[in-house]
Amino acid sequence: MGRIVGIDLGTTYSLIAYVDPETGKPRCITGPYGDTLCPSVVSVDADGAVMAGEAAQRRLLTQPERSVYSVKRLMGRGTDDIQEELKLFPFRIDASSGNVIRVKLGERVLSPPEISAFILRELKSWAENFFGEPVDRAVITVPAHFNDAQRQATKDAGRLAGLEVARLVNEPTAAALAYGLHKQQRGRVAVYDLGGGTFDISVLKLISTSEGNIYQVLSTNGDTHLGGDDIDNALLALARGEIRSHHGVSLDNAPEALQDLRKALIAAKHELSSSDSTTVKLTLPEGGVYQRESLRTEFDELIRPIIARTMGPVKMAMKDAKLAPPDIEEVVLVGGSTRIPQVRQAVAEYFGRAPHCELDPDEVVALGAAVQANILESGVKSMLLLDVTPLSLGIETMGGVVAKIIPRNSTIPASAQEMFTTGVENQTAIDLHVLQGERELASDCRSLSRFQLRVSPGPAGLARIEVKFLIDANGILQVTARDQRTGGEHSIEVQPSYGLGDAEIERMLEESIEFAEQDFAQRQLIEARNEAETVLHATERTFQGEEAGELDAAERGHIHSIATQLRAAIAGTDYKLVRARTDELNQATQHLAELVMNHAVQAAVQGKRVEEA
Amino acid sequence: MSVKPQTAQVSAPCWSCQAEVHGGHFCPSCGRILPLAEGASYFAFFELPSRLLLDESALEQKFLQLSWKLHPDNFVRADEFERGLSLDRASQLNDAYRTLCEPITRVEYLLAHEGARKTGGAKQQAPPELLEEVFELNESLDELRTARAENDQTAELRQRLVAAQSNFQENLNEVDAELKQAAAEWDELLETDAATGSDAGAMSREALMKRMNEILNRRSYIRNLVNIVQNELAQD
Repeated sequence: MGRIVGIDLGTTYSLIAYVDPETGKPRCITGPYGDTLCPSVVSVDADGAVMAGEAAQRRLLTQPERSVYSVKRLMGRGTDDIQEELKLFPFRIDASSGNVIRVKLGERVLSPPEISAFILRELKSWAENFFGEPVDRAVITVPAHFNDAQRQATKDAGRLAGLEVARLVNEPTAAALAYGLHKQQRGRVAVYDLGGGTFDISVLKLISTSEGNIYQVLSTNGDTHLGGDDIDNALLALARGEIRSHHGVSLDNAPEALQDLRKALIAAKHELSSSDSTTVKLTLPEGGVYQRESLRTEFDELIRPIIARTMGPVKMAMKDAKLAPPDIEEVVLVGGSTRIPQVRQAVAEYFGRAPHCELDPDEVVALGAAVQANILESGVKSMLLLDVTPLSLGIETMGGVVAKIIPRNSTIPASAQEMFTTGVENQTAIDLHVLQGERELASDCRSLSRFQLRVSPGPAGLARIEVKFLIDANGILQVTARDQRTGGEHSIEVQPSYGLGDAEIERMLEESIEFAEQDFAQRQLIEARNEAETVLHATERTFQGEEAGELDAAERGHIHSIATQLRAAIAGTDYKLVRARTDELNQATQHLAELVMNHAVQAAVQGKRVEEA
Repeated sequence: MSVKPQTAQVSAPCWSCQAEVHGGHFCPSCGRILPLAEGASYFAFFELPSRLLLDESALEQKFLQLSWKLHPDNFVRADEFERGLSLDRASQLNDAYRTLCEPITRVEYLLAHEGARKTGGAKQQAPPELLEEVFELNESLDELRTARAENDQTAELRQRLVAAQSNFQENLNEVDAELKQAAAEWDELLETDAATGSDAGAMSREALMKRMNEILNRRSYIRNLVNIVQNELAQD
């Protein structure tokens, strides 16, 4: 078995961490550029080869149509869900998208879990280089407010990346774990996590017991589509509007300039966390320069509504935890967007105390994931996480009304049993619709899946099938059914409403191996071509030398014809053919090579004699 | 119908070492986690008698202790069968704690487990003593909706609703006190029987469960009214 790691699969950046066995402390692993942050960007080059991280991010500017960022926003969602995002993000959605989105990247069409898998693979390679050992298991973090489909998609991504997902942990909970370990603190803690694309608030109770510390999540709330991205988009909208009105230039058909502008605005946003003003400058595609001074006060005004949107979930989480702001003893900030002074101020005002931010808000989630990975790995545990499910689980009843069977903020694993029977005579199947959400009507909740319970025909009400709905420690639903009359397990057909089916995952796994083979073939071809070029070059050089004159015409003709065949092979893509022709050329030029060698030896011997003389 | 003694468990051989096991979460002989006993109550899960006024902080302590032992984290390296047992037991623990830590859900659960919970159906009858108030409430709600539709002044109507809300809230508090009283009576009956080792209180308990069921139905009716008013007031 290989190593286990903790991974924060973020909207903008992803990180990988481990627990140092020497110090017992979690640490983030750096990539080839010495940075712990791996941009969550994936890009496909003209040969179909895929890259992720820093290399892909650079291509975001030069080849935006072959690159994708913020793919986390698409995880576990269908085309109907993302119409709003499409207005703001340059996702190229393939026409084949339905309940799973397919993104076009160059010639390839990939689902969000497949794209995320490339990011995970990149991180995995960082860790494998660092350890010099394979990594095959991971704890991966997800926003606390992620629903079942979004969690399942994350788990699928891990599997596609060759990682066994030992546990999905909620991001704020992971942060609390890293923080608690760091501070050895007790009491009630609120974690305010404003990341690149998601917002979470979790309220926890840190308890000391004789066996160890328990981190009990009391409640969680959030918005899976609220984060730094929204701030960037607000800035982008403002700047584009100004460019249009002041310069008469539209950036609608200038993806490169748009990415440049986005980059400049993000830099300005970062700058405004520490200074009161900054300057944004962009050379426009049709000449001219857009330049403006941005003030902190102006920025604060722009993002006020975004910060206000976080306060609703904060109040809900506190209400569900049955706590008032003064009951909270510590407030922890997580996520890059909490570097913004106005965010810190809003949090401090609500809770009436200054929030903690000693740990790097970018790294703290990955560090917590590593701690949980270590707990699962080592037989002896010194702490325990008790997390909750963020959304109520329900089933659709008569008239499209949802009957809640597991309330939100239930500690997981959690379960509910329901008995089902037939309503009419000779009914052969009972249809069930499982949903997640807080609304009354099924149409307002998130559809998770539809199940069919097959029953043998008989009088109405005779069948008695007990269905157990269980939310596991990852927050993912499992359903089993039992025939009460026979006591036997009852088969159910599961159709996930969103997300990939098992067969599809299998196919993707096979494809990923196929692609790995393709990538291997690509590398072989490059190496074979290089070698062939070297041999061809050497042959041409010796052909021009005096030794070539010693070959007869037939031999020269033979070498010439094989060299021509090798050039043809190099132009093709079959590396085996290139190798074979290279070998043939080596064979054919052996006599010539011997002649060259003899001449050299003779020259050397003669030289020596001269010296000796 | 009778109240099952909560400590009694069906004896069965341990799945792993075949030793005779009488309840509990782990086999006393080999220490392996045991499958859930069929039909065991949430009270039995915590090895508690089915008292209704239980010590909530003691329950929490027990919950934390059991979490430490039963959580799937402890079974990551176990085989699929044992991992399944841990998942079943850990989820049962959380379900049981979630249900028993709140006084209302605790009573609801007890009645449901004893087969004594009879809900009033989808369209519940208004409790007779509230008939007049419910009638007035419906009138005020109609007036408010009409006023809102016609863009008329709603301030006075809203005030009436706020008053009605606090009135119903008071009713709710009264019902809760009534339920608490019944719960205390229940515990007393259990204690007397436990002390005398008899089942003499069975009849009284049955009557008491019927009463508690009626209180719960009244409670859910009033609770519903409070929610309706809250939702209506939240609309402006």
